[in-house]
Amino acid sequence: MEQKYEGTPKAEIKLAGRKVTRTDVTNDWGLGLQWVVRRGGKVVATVNARAETSYELADKTPGEYEFVLQMWHYFDYAKNPAGEFTKSKFVEVSNKVTLKV
Amino acid sequence: MLNIGKEKVPLCDGVSRRSFLQLGTAGMAAMSLPTLLQLEANGSTKEKPAQIKNCITIFLVGSPGQHDTWDMKPDAPAEIRGKFKPIQTNVNGVRICEHFPLMSKMMDKVALIRSLHHKTGATHENGQRWMMTGHDFNADSIKPHVGSIVSRVFGSRGDLPANVILPGPIGNTGAGPLHGQTAGYLGSGHEPFFLNSDPARPDFKVADLEVPAGESASRLDARTRLLNQVDELQRRTETKSTQMHDASYERAFRLLTSSSAKRAFNLSEEKDTLRDRYGRNTFGQSCLMARRLVENGVRYVTVNHFDTVFGLSCWDMHADGGGLNNTYLDYERHLCPQFDWAFTALITDLEQRGLLKETVVAVLSEFGRTPQINGRGGRDHYPAAWTNFLCGGNIRGGQVVGSTDKTGSRPNDSPVEPPQIIASIYQGMGIDLDNTMMPGPGERPVRLVEAEPIRQLFA
Repeated sequence: MEQKYEGTPKAEIKLAGRKVTRTDVTNDWGLGLQWVVRRGGKVVATVNARAETSYELADKTPGEYEFVLQMWHYFDYAKNPAGEFTKSKFVEVSNKVTLKV
Repeated sequence: MLNIGKEKVPLCDGVSRRSFLQLGTAGMAAMSLPTLLQLEANGSTKEKPAQIKNCITIFLVGSPGQHDTWDMKPDAPAEIRGKFKPIQTNVNGVRICEHFPLMSKMMDKVALIRSLHHKTGATHENGQRWMMTGHDFNADSIKPHVGSIVSRVFGSRGDLPANVILPGPIGNTGAGPLHGQTAGYLGSGHEPFFLNSDPARPDFKVADLEVPAGESASRLDARTRLLNQVDELQRRTETKSTQMHDASYERAFRLLTSSSAKRAFNLSEEKDTLRDRYGRNTFGQSCLMARRLVENGVRYVTVNHFDTVFGLSCWDMHADGGGLNNTYLDYERHLCPQFDWAFTALITDLEQRGLLKETVVAVLSEFGRTPQINGRGGRDHYPAAWTNFLCGGNIRGGQVVGSTDKTGSRPNDSPVEPPQIIASIYQGMGIDLDNTMMPGPGERPVRLVEAEPIRQLFA
């Protein structure tokens, strides 16, 4: 029996200084949850967001940073020959916030 | 005193279980099963429920690898240590996998047993039988599930069955139907109650709690009274099998007509925030259901984390590229986070309600996984060493029992076998194994499990 995942997870994130903070996730599927940090559209960090509700940017490289929260969305366990999931993927579950360094 | 079923039987002062058994095989053989049943019948469970603690067993079908979870070997070569890193927990010197960040903050409540092993076949079913019953067995001598033994010896409290398995039974795991989740010779009256429904579904209902269409509860009650009159005639020629049939019939009727039973299964009474905290998935909602059930009188609840190992994301990390293609990515993104989220929710919730001291939580699996990562990046079955853990009840948390060698291949000290885990669960529930017996298959009293508890867990 495949696990069922109910509802659509949602959280809000806020920026204060270099620190981004999240609310609890509603309709939380209970799967992998991560902060994704992009600079100039390129992912520069992915950090587990389960243990703590905030994340502080340590990177001092100048640029525009974008933060978003993502959760693992399980469709099935199918993988391609390279071992990557073909359907299951991380999906965004929060708003985005940006920071100029 | 000696407990047989729910009845205390006086013994001479100072007679131990061993000397009793040495003395007593002949003497006790004279005490037949009907006598035992009569003894039990004299002690009504409804009037005088036995004072033991509860147990929630979380069974990780497929079995996580010890190297990738709770017995990491960061100093071993890469092909043994695997991809994950250990993190420090809130117990000095105890480290676990980085993908259990929430569990790492409550290791003071958990007793890890790192030297678990068994010496029979490396099939899922061998491991399931060991960890569900304390025995390996074949179809000719099916042993009862621990929850069925608890049901038989201590009875049910209220209208709910004593032994419930969520969300359903273990199905196909590759090597036959003997998973250790039946009552065996204890009979249908002590079979586990299977939810057989997914509590994560928005339209979740327990099929067995629904009165059939066209039947009202009062009509059902009238029909039962009539049936009881007919049954009275049958009782003159009553046999063991009809007694068992009656017991299961009565249980089904109690479930159908009991508002308290229906309420216990009604997850919509829980706040959305708490349901979110367990995880809106089959496993998380089953763990929440387990808490509701012990809170409402169920003595033993088993949550099966998956019912098969084929064609879905589960702990059976062979990475075979086919029907058993779980990999490190499944562990990292799905399995470890899902377990970490639900398990820590359960422990926190039980503690906040004052139920953790009254409830043993046992996290069990079938075996470990091979120390050497296979050619496809997975690990295969390995019963020679693995880690399971217990907390709550009488268990002392914040400790590690046993260890493995530097490659996680063999117990290094304090080797533990499955029956000792079962004995420890009983002791954690407050059951005195030296003074509690159950009716065995040959209608003679037998010990609940032929092993001693792990003393360190209670020191």
